[in-house]
Amino acid sequence: MESKLMHVFPGKCTACRNCEQACAFAHLHEGRPTRSRIRADADPQLREGKHVLVVCYQCDAAACVAACPANALWRDTETGAINHIAERCIRCGSCVAACPFGNMRWEPLAQHPSKCDLCKGDPVCVRFCPTGAIQYK
Amino acid sequence: MIRLTIDGRRVESRNGEYLLTLARRAGIEIPTLCHHEAVEPAGACRLCMVEITRPQWNGWSKLVTACLYPAEEGLIVKTSTERVLRTRREVLELLLARSPRAEAVRRLAAQYGILEPKYAVDQEGDNCILCDICTRVCATHVTGAISRVNRGVAKKVATPFDEASDVCVGCMACARSCPTDAIAFSQDGATRAIWGKTFEVVPCTVCGAPTVTREQARWMAQRKGVAEEDFYVCDVCKVAKTGLSCRKVMW
Repeated sequence: MESKLMHVFPGKCTACRNCEQACAFAHLHEGRPTRSRIRADADPQLREGKHVLVVCYQCDAAACVAACPANALWRDTETGAINHIAERCIRCGSCVAACPFGNMRWEPLAQHPSKCDLCKGDPVCVRFCPTGAIQYK
Repeated sequence: MIRLTIDGRRVESRNGEYLLTLARRAGIEIPTLCHHEAVEPAGACRLCMVEITRPQWNGWSKLVTACLYPAEEGLIVKTSTERVLRTRREVLELLLARSPRAEAVRRLAAQYGILEPKYAVDQEGDNCILCDICTRVCATHVTGAISRVNRGVAKKVATPFDEASDVCVGCMACARSCPTDAIAFSQDGATRAIWGKTFEVVPCTVCGAPTVTREQARWMAQRKGVAEEDFYVCDVCKVAKTGLSCRKVMW
């Protein structure tokens, strides 16, 4: 499978949070960066100008897929992203508990999980990153 | 390849999918309340009624539930004839009389011009329309803790003998899948009560935010052969941990 990958360069991240805003607008249609699927400055302890971005790794042997009892998580063969199929989801929250990296998030208003879907092959966060800390190639 | 027409549109199906699936794929809206992609169709709500006919039937037609009727070669399906709409309205009248406060029913009924049902309204009627989504979801994907019990007007969804279930894991899939929000539950930070059973929602081992119930973690752990403790960290703390390990690699 020749799909592009999301590359994260923590050294380039300035924690400007443009990616969070872009993600929130793209997926929720409103500026709620706390519900973004990408996290800038993920580690709250150490600052010192060193910022880390955390976004779904689209794991090969993904814990979320293994935990889903309803087969609501499917890999898109074109983008390589694991997509959450809302219609098939039974909203049990197993995937959120299972992801070891915290990239499967619970959407409290809609009451269903949300995860990075690589925006169908054109991640919006990448377009809005001013320093090239996230690249899709 | 099976070829048929739905509302005059030619549609094709390779493996005899149900009419509802085909109609929706063709962009034709058929209302449903008991349809859920995660489970097998049940034909419980009777709202997806469509009229089918064939040229050789000499004008005769019949009503079927689109969610349970598989595609057949040469079938002519009509989703909004006068007969279909009349039947659908009748079903909505009955549903609204049964569950007058259910938002999904009210909204759908209003779309069909029904604000007050012609039948006697059951003022004590709860929101449950016996669509069976909760029982199918639980039986198919979780532990099968609930089912329909009793018959006729006494029919309802419950755990066996209305007692706290041994197998319910408190995952809330039933309540969250319910189209009419009919399943009562309560939750605060540390506990969750549903189906007469109170669950402990285990606090995150790092920050103390609620994660999953102990029963659900145990169920997932057993199913996948992993440690139950793996599930007791909240997503925010897991991201922080991921960030920290990235940092160690970088600097």
